[in-house]
Amino acid sequence: MKEIISSIRRTPYQSLSAFLALFFTLFLSTLIFMSLSFLYSLLAYIETRPQVTAYFQTNIEENKIFKIREELSNSGKVSSVKYISQKEAFEIYKKLNKDNPLLLEMVSADILPPSLEIYAKRPIFLPEIAEYLKKQPGVDEVQFQKDIVDRLLTLTNILRTTAISFFMFLILMATVVLTTSISFKIALKKEEIELLRLIGASNFYIRKPFLKESFFLGFLAVTTSFVLIISFLFYFQPFLNSYLRGISQLFLLLNNFQLQIWPLSLTFLGITYILSLFFGLTISFIATYFATKKYLKV
Amino acid sequence: MIIFDNVIKKFPLGNFALNEVSFEINDNEFVFLVGPSGAGKTTILKLILREFIPTAGIIKIDDWEISSKNFKKILSLRRKIGVVFQDFKILNDKTVFENIALSLKVIGLLPSNKIKEEVKKALELVNLPDKEKVFPLQLSAGELQRVAIARAIVGEREILLADEPTGNLDPKTSWEIMKIFKKLEGKRTIIIASHNVDIVNSMQKRVLQLRKGELIKDIKKGKYELS
Repeated sequence: MKEIISSIRRTPYQSLSAFLALFFTLFLSTLIFMSLSFLYSLLAYIETRPQVTAYFQTNIEENKIFKIREELSNSGKVSSVKYISQKEAFEIYKKLNKDNPLLLEMVSADILPPSLEIYAKRPIFLPEIAEYLKKQPGVDEVQFQKDIVDRLLTLTNILRTTAISFFMFLILMATVVLTTSISFKIALKKEEIELLRLIGASNFYIRKPFLKESFFLGFLAVTTSFVLIISFLFYFQPFLNSYLRGISQLFLLLNNFQLQIWPLSLTFLGITYILSLFFGLTISFIATYFATKKYLKV
Repeated sequence: MIIFDNVIKKFPLGNFALNEVSFEINDNEFVFLVGPSGAGKTTILKLILREFIPTAGIIKIDDWEISSKNFKKILSLRRKIGVVFQDFKILNDKTVFENIALSLKVIGLLPSNKIKEEVKKALELVNLPDKEKVFPLQLSAGELQRVAIARAIVGEREILLADEPTGNLDPKTSWEIMKIFKKLEGKRTIIIASHNVDIVNSMQKRVLQLRKGELIKDIKKGKYELS
């Protein structure tokens, strides 16, 4: 550790530029990773929600709603239809807003609409079902979840594509900056490296101090960026909580393992940190390998 | 054993550093390479260390031909050789102890307590027992040369090469340095490149005399004749 600190102090500006390049790369890549995880888990959540929801006028008779429900069930295109009465809707509303008594005071069961939540057997039936519902008397609004899903999918794909291109650029930049910084340090130690070669040091022995230093910078960059992101997340948590009102939890399903994304879980944070660390140390290793390669010819 | 068989070394600019040089050096032999500047003494030492390979001819060290590109063998060869460089190559940002210990650490076989023991032994041998924690800039030229020798001899490397070890030293210090080499006689192969006539002649060791890249004399218990 003493040698690492001494080497950093000897070339402070080079070390700082290497650290900053790594920091920005890892900060942005961790942010992108967490955003994508969040979006995919949101997508998974929405896909579990009813695919079509029909909201009825508050003064409609229940019989008419039951007739529509029967017709849908007999159509052969629907896997399930669930009726939510005004009372049930009010119970759901109370549960979602239990922390906000002001909102509860202003609402009663009468003003909440009854609804039908429909799951189709196949996605191609959804437009047809939505069209049918729109034509029924007493239907106030038909929410077609597919629109939301499609929009979210598009957003996720755009983010993923942009992220990958941006990502590759950041990795290249960080690797180049780190390689240059290490090359500069190697140039300062040229005599020592020459001596080490002549007294029988292996390539690994010569590379070791530079590897240690770049791993240290990588570790520092990962940890600093991670701490900053977590701080932002906790600071904006109340805003995110209100934005995601109604959604109690978000999960990602990975090979039969359910990873909780929201509320933030230690497992998710742990996995994010380990992946960032692995990524940061890989960049450090590659940069050091290329920087030292030139000086290790026998 | 070190064998040079019709070795030629020509550098890119066309000058012949060595021209059909042949000799054999047995294990634990003490040899002086003598000759004026540019005779090829340092070239021979660098060839033995495999810093470069000959343009033509064969060099064998313990039956291994050094022109081979086997990296492990090259590493193994260099770990058998202790070198006292003409410019010392002592690292100013490391203490005397750290400079000497480097020679053992690169091999990586000894634990740190054993390294400490070996370094102390080497410092005793070169008469610098109390200079462990001193930095090179605090030492005189003679002391630096002794540190360089200590680094070359620590760990009992089989071959010791010394390039002008008394080059910049006064006569008294030069003799003190040669006494250290005398203590090691018979325990390892010692090859010293020197143009110090007095020292070579009084040591009465085998002399390989070079001139313009050619071996002109090879005498046991020889003298360095300037003419």
